[in-house]
Amino acid sequence: MRLRSLWLVLIVLLALAAVQLAAAPVAWRNRRPVLQRPRLQVSLGLDLQGGSHIVLEAKDTPAVKATAEAVDGAMEIIRSRIDELGVVEPTIQRQGERRIIVELPGVEDPQQAIRLIGKTALLEFVNTGTVSLPAGSTWNAAGTAVTLPAPERRTVPLKKEVVVTGADLADARAAFEQGQVNTGEPIVAFRFKGAGAKKFEEFTGSHVGQYLTIVLDNDVISSPVIRDRIAGGSGQISGNFTLESARELAVLLRAGALPIPVEVVERRTVGPSLGRDSLDLSLRAGSIAVVLIVVFMLIQYRFPGILADLALLLYALFLFATLAGLNATMTLPGIAAFVISVGMAIDANVLIFERIKEELRAGKTLRAGIQAGWDRAWGAILDSNVTTLVGAAVLFVLGTGPIKGFATTLFLGVLISMFTAIVVTRVLVDALARPPIDRFLRFGV
Amino acid sequence: MRTWDIIGNRRWGYLLSLLVIIPGVIALLVWHINLGIDFTGGTLLNLRLGREASLEQVRAVLQPFGLEDAVIQKSPDRPREVLIRSRPLDEERTAALEAAYARQFGGAEVLRAERVGPTIGRELRQKAVQAVIIGLILQVVYITWRFRSIRFAISADIALIHDLLVVVGLFALLRKEVDSSFVAVLLTVVGYSINDTVVILDRIRENVNLRLREPFGRLVNRSMLEVLVRSLTTGFGAIVALIILYFFGGPTLRDFVFGLGVGVVTGTYSSIFVASPVLVEWHNWSERRQRRPVTAGTAPADVPAPEPAAVGRSAAGGAASGGGAAGGSGGRRRNRRRR
Repeated sequence: MRLRSLWLVLIVLLALAAVQLAAAPVAWRNRRPVLQRPRLQVSLGLDLQGGSHIVLEAKDTPAVKATAEAVDGAMEIIRSRIDELGVVEPTIQRQGERRIIVELPGVEDPQQAIRLIGKTALLEFVNTGTVSLPAGSTWNAAGTAVTLPAPERRTVPLKKEVVVTGADLADARAAFEQGQVNTGEPIVAFRFKGAGAKKFEEFTGSHVGQYLTIVLDNDVISSPVIRDRIAGGSGQISGNFTLESARELAVLLRAGALPIPVEVVERRTVGPSLGRDSLDLSLRAGSIAVVLIVVFMLIQYRFPGILADLALLLYALFLFATLAGLNATMTLPGIAAFVISVGMAIDANVLIFERIKEELRAGKTLRAGIQAGWDRAWGAILDSNVTTLVGAAVLFVLGTGPIKGFATTLFLGVLISMFTAIVVTRVLVDALARPPIDRFLRFGV
Repeated sequence: MRTWDIIGNRRWGYLLSLLVIIPGVIALLVWHINLGIDFTGGTLLNLRLGREASLEQVRAVLQPFGLEDAVIQKSPDRPREVLIRSRPLDEERTAALEAAYARQFGGAEVLRAERVGPTIGRELRQKAVQAVIIGLILQVVYITWRFRSIRFAISADIALIHDLLVVVGLFALLRKEVDSSFVAVLLTVVGYSINDTVVILDRIRENVNLRLREPFGRLVNRSMLEVLVRSLTTGFGAIVALIILYFFGGPTLRDFVFGLGVGVVTGTYSSIFVASPVLVEWHNWSERRQRRPVTAGTAPADVPAPEPAAVGRSAAGGAASGGGAAGGSGGRRRNRRRR
């Protein structure tokens, strides 16, 4: 009996800790506990809160190979670009040798994000001598010829003689044109770092009257004429910008160019409204299902049913606490996994209770019946749960995104349900299997 | 309790299984399974338009993009939403397409936009196949080890293959699209199917250890009836929960839940109408084989593979010696017999 009450105390303590972990009703302020409004502490997957999952793949170029270092460098730059977007809690991970996974929860304009993330953003100031290239002309990758935009579409040989690059920039900002012409047009104002500024000043000083073409990722943005020597390293880029595109370019230039080009190979966006819908709908459906199961157990087994239901509530509590504690992510399939594991938790109790019923019908005493029920049902419960655990583990290793969420919830759910359905229910039943309460514990026999 | 002779009527069960599986397998062979963009690569666009649009109107917008072959879906309970699947589109063209819809139909909110490159599609396909194969092998290995009896394990495996065929066949038959989450469906269905089968086979084994004079078929039948309440209770509970998820859980989860639901039904069915009858068939078959060479105690090589100790004993019908071998545990259990 001692042992039993010890278990009871332990379960109550565990439950209290779980409440704190799962919903954090108590916060610590100035080392003092303060009650606050409980909120579920489990982080939601992109499919439930909306957001974008983007997979980038680094591409080899004739100049650079996509090595791990280059990919790491690209990741750093992508990180600083995303920081400029103001996304809350983005995750950026490398996958394998040359892939980068970017997850942006709650991003409002995923296409803007992708434009920002996927651009190489190599800015080059090219000496084109007496040639002014129209905006939209493109250099070939080797830098030996330029294709003019429509309507001409001609390709002319022209060597790309780079004076300075974006790597020498200290800063870039979107601004508005202040001069006599085109006043109020959005532009990008930039400033060179020391060495770059010097180079820039020398070059502009010696090439007055010639054209300095500004090229981004081999696309010509503009091709202004050098009117005067530009001292101090400041300048501006103009060329058909909207305020938004000027801002984007400024962000790209501030963060710097990617050391290697990347390509978006996978992109999944869930809009915020679908995410919210899915969350609301699945939570509602999940709670209806759970309530029905609870009622069903109540009808089927009466008083012991209440105990099983209590164990079930503890189960849900423990599961959410564990998910929160492990910082796991709840996804939409994860909610389905939750419902499945509730089913398995209940199944364990059904197995045990049916067994006790049989034993009682065979004329056993309540205590002996309970003992036999647990002893005999244990093996079957373990086996069925182990096969599900195996499946969940495989899914966890090989699955991605929402499926991983499914696997996590299923795995933890099955483990925890074994504990609650077997241990917790047993402790409760044992605690009550004595007069005068035991006459309610007839399991409907 | 009225006794149902399930084992006696097992041929009806086989017939029903075949009626479901054969069309499914034919559909699988003829149409193949309908792979979603996860596995083929492509673009999926789920939009909520400003106003309702017919399929033709939706398709008309795709024309200038050269996407006449895209698949368009609408669900009747959400008239303003459309689901478009096409070959992979780059970001600019996706944006242009969204803009075109917004212009045409007074707004187009992006509910879901996915693009899977062809390489990723191939990888996801490989991974899915890998996951199913590895998962299945591990689960089968566990079950074989667990029963320590080839006969029980193979009966469970046949039930499991039956369930997988039903689920996959039904998806092929209904032309339902299969994506990465289908792997989760399959492995969960396997888990459930084994769960249910284990409970019944466990009871059969327990009864085999207890009673030695009952004909095997009747023993299996009785064992099934003993656990039937549990099987149906659990199956019923699971189905109710899944039906609720299906109707109220939102459209994204629907196919996923459908697959799980089919799996629960067939998983419950197969442990009663497939796994246990197979055990009986096997038993009858090996009895016939043993009876033919009347000379007792001939080459043990002739006896079907590694005989499971418990079943073998009752199969041989060696009442006296078998009872003795069951030993102390059997005797102890007998004291606890129900009625």
